[in-house]
Amino acid sequence: MTERSFGVAEGVGPLLVWFLVVLLVTWLLVLLLESRGRRVSSWVLLSGVLSALLVAAAVLRPTRVTSRGADLFPKVVVLLDRSWRLGLKAGDKTREQLALSALHDLQARLKQARLEVLGFGEGAATPFSEGQADAGERPTDSDLTSALRALSAAPGERPKALVVVSDGRLTSPSEAATTEALRELGARLGVPIHTIQVGGRALPDASIRRVSTTGAAVAHQKIALQLSVGCSGGLACEDELPITVEELLHGEPAALLAQGSAKVRDGLATVELPFTLERAGRRLVRVKLQAPDGDQVPENNQRLLTFDVTRERVRLLHVAGRPTYDVRALRMWLKADESIDLIAFFILRTSSDAMQADESELALIPFPVDELFTEHLPSFDAVILQDIDAVEYKLERHLPALARYVRAGGGLIMVGGPSAFMGGGYAGTPLAEVLPTTLPEQGAPFDTVSFEPRTTQAGRAAPALLRVRELLGDHLPSMQGSNTLGPLRPGAIALWEHPDRRAGNAAMPVLALGESGDGRSIALGVDGTHLLEWSELGERGAGRAYGALWEGLVGWLMRDPRYESARLDLTHECRAGAPVSLSITRLPGAAVDVKVSLERLGEAAGGEPLPNKQLRMEGDVESATLPLGALSEGGYTATVRIGSAPPARLDFACERGGAAFADSRPDAALLERLSQATGGISLGAADAGSLQAPPRTHVESQRVVAPLLAPWIWALLAASSIGAHWYVRRRAGLI
Amino acid sequence: METLLSRRRALLTGLAALAMPRKAHGFGEVGAFNPRVIVAGGKRLQAPRSSGPSAWSMELINRTSAPARLVPREVSLDRPELCNEPFALWAGDADVGSLTVAERRGLAKFIRLGGVLVVDDNDPQRGSFGRSVRRELLRVLPESPPVRLDASHVVYKTFYIVDRPVGRLLGPPTIDAIVRGKNAQVLLLAHDLLGALARSEEGSYSLETEPPGYDHRQHAIRFAVNIAMYVLCSDYKDDQVHAPFLMRRRAQAR
Repeated sequence: MTERSFGVAEGVGPLLVWFLVVLLVTWLLVLLLESRGRRVSSWVLLSGVLSALLVAAAVLRPTRVTSRGADLFPKVVVLLDRSWRLGLKAGDKTREQLALSALHDLQARLKQARLEVLGFGEGAATPFSEGQADAGERPTDSDLTSALRALSAAPGERPKALVVVSDGRLTSPSEAATTEALRELGARLGVPIHTIQVGGRALPDASIRRVSTTGAAVAHQKIALQLSVGCSGGLACEDELPITVEELLHGEPAALLAQGSAKVRDGLATVELPFTLERAGRRLVRVKLQAPDGDQVPENNQRLLTFDVTRERVRLLHVAGRPTYDVRALRMWLKADESIDLIAFFILRTSSDAMQADESELALIPFPVDELFTEHLPSFDAVILQDIDAVEYKLERHLPALARYVRAGGGLIMVGGPSAFMGGGYAGTPLAEVLPTTLPEQGAPFDTVSFEPRTTQAGRAAPALLRVRELLGDHLPSMQGSNTLGPLRPGAIALWEHPDRRAGNAAMPVLALGESGDGRSIALGVDGTHLLEWSELGERGAGRAYGALWEGLVGWLMRDPRYESARLDLTHECRAGAPVSLSITRLPGAAVDVKVSLERLGEAAGGEPLPNKQLRMEGDVESATLPLGALSEGGYTATVRIGSAPPARLDFACERGGAAFADSRPDAALLERLSQATGGISLGAADAGSLQAPPRTHVESQRVVAPLLAPWIWALLAASSIGAHWYVRRRAGLI
Repeated sequence: METLLSRRRALLTGLAALAMPRKAHGFGEVGAFNPRVIVAGGKRLQAPRSSGPSAWSMELINRTSAPARLVPREVSLDRPELCNEPFALWAGDADVGSLTVAERRGLAKFIRLGGVLVVDDNDPQRGSFGRSVRRELLRVLPESPPVRLDASHVVYKTFYIVDRPVGRLLGPPTIDAIVRGKNAQVLLLAHDLLGALARSEEGSYSLETEPPGYDHRQHAIRFAVNIAMYVLCSDYKDDQVHAPFLMRRRAQAR
């Protein structure tokens, strides 16, 4: 298509044009006034006008513009809501199905437009294709504001219109957005925003709409969970709706943390449920709402919340059966660490000691064993039992509680000595079951032969021993005897072993790590780790090897990421029924087999086992992704064993609805307001096919600018006309 | 004046402790309290105080749950063995002379590792030993001059509640110490502590206390036990959990 038009020479600005116009008009007025007053001939007038026009032409130098181009179909961007929430029902179909159907209608209707389909959810909108429709990596949010901002900031051709396909339950703009704010959204691109409503009718639904907490979760400190409960879609919520808050533990039924009820008024209730999480790290909490009959969206009656519980300080209980240099070294190391809040009890006298003093002359306090192991036990992050006789000091009756404490997430270190392990009466007790090794019930409780502990293959791979090995190499100080420990429990690993003593078919563990339920435990079958500081070998590391050992052990016990063999995470939020993968990152090293086992949380041991997974990581490979498949709703723990290193663990939740389903009500009114504010129209999903395409866009492909006459001819003509005008005026006697 | 009965009782108690089958022989001994005696400049601990360290261990075994070595060894300041354990005892009654470079280096390493050193002047009236050790310590640890320990220091309440330091001599009512960080690492005694503990082969105390008396001796032994407990437990009795109890006890004692 060719179009022709006229213009002025390049470099002539609008200001000059206007100046000339004003000058011309003034000149004409002068001529008119002159002609009236003196009765001049019409030649004077004509030559005056002609000379003025030719002078203007000489300045403007008129051009002829010839352009060639085409009328293109207008660009229309369709923003499709990709939130997981669109899995909610809208009549017989899901909102997702309605949205896709509306998209097909739009594609059929807007054949005279260039349609670009983007999916929006979190952040900038991304190109959408139908194949993505069932992928698990769906966003929770529907952040239209961010999508529009990113679109307006993107380079390239601007669209002529936007079409938003959504149920209207947008994260941003929210239902509280003002008309001004909505108008501002459209103004960024300067185009109308049409909306297609795919929400259908509101379903009868009682749901946990919002969950929030005041402040961060800190171990041992009360946290208030604020819940908003909503009732919509005509569901009768007249009675109080019970709510429970439970912690999902490993190998045990869920533990009740708090309970309450929601009294719904005008479709909304707010409940605050305070509770305390005793253990630090990643904890899973289930919030359950008992919805009334008729609720059609059961997915949002339950939330699985992940709390990354921090500690102000690691609170440790150190109990020692007698004071020794080993006790001293451990106490001094623990006290020197500002991040540790140490509570210590040492047995300083026995019943057979002759103090030769009245009780009032002694600085001794009774060992508050009952108080410690009942009332205060949950407040500790870990317990260190160092060479203490469980029978003599009446610890025996608290061992079942101590074992439960470990399974519930507490840490335990049993440090060797004559009164530790078998020698302390721990064999055959419930506490023995949470230790990483078995404890024989018969035989000598300890051996007095000196030996140098041997670092196992797992010990060489364990980050917990890395610094000790850096300082001392493969050698360790000679120990004066060892406790008798049995074979490792399933899943436990030995970091040090005895070079001569056997436990079953394997070398006897000397230092072993294990997991029991949600907790971790360490068995250290020697009483001379202070020799890592106080020995000729220890001196080689300037005494720092002792601190390095205990920092590694306590760090591993407290799940410090520095001492984990791998960093684990999910590739995306786990949604029930949708595939999810585990991302594994490790320090590069030797090629190893990686074994991943999955277990459900909040169920007593012995539940239906989940299939184990396995992959191989080559030496130079730092990270890998392992598909876990589609999981059902619930809490899970993934235990990853990288070669022979201690296992790393990730607790995670898979929700059916999650935050995306929290508010099931569609918001057609918001979509209508958005369209109205931006000059668009709002249609139902069924009417998507009636949307009109915007006008076509003309795009120039060629533009030729040619002067009508050469500049010197314009100048000659202007000069000649001025001369002619001068001559006519002289003849008329005006000069 | 101490009675024969009290001497006999102490001896019998000690022997009984030795004869008693304790759980840890070998295993469990590596961390036992061991009052190693420092040999510097070739000067050794002389009789009768040479039996003091084992008597100290004996008292600790008899009176507390702490294990202790009954035959403590000597250790030279210039030997690497000095840093094999966190405690050493430096006793004497005469000027120690000038330490060699190796001795100074060994002593500095021991202190910097966190070791505890008790300096016991056996003749505090002359004071030449104490002065010479202070002089040498100042050369080794110029940045840490001795300071007077407060009466509330943990060493006075680690096992017994004691009011003041006591040895064979009553001596000054306070002790000086080199404090590094939060820990008193060198205790400078001018009370002849080993003189109060030393026993003859028959089991009787080798040296009379000044002023003489059973109570004085007991106070000296209690102070020695407290020092041993300080070595083994550091500032355990300063923990908050003990504070109200100890305040009550002190109030009752007054």
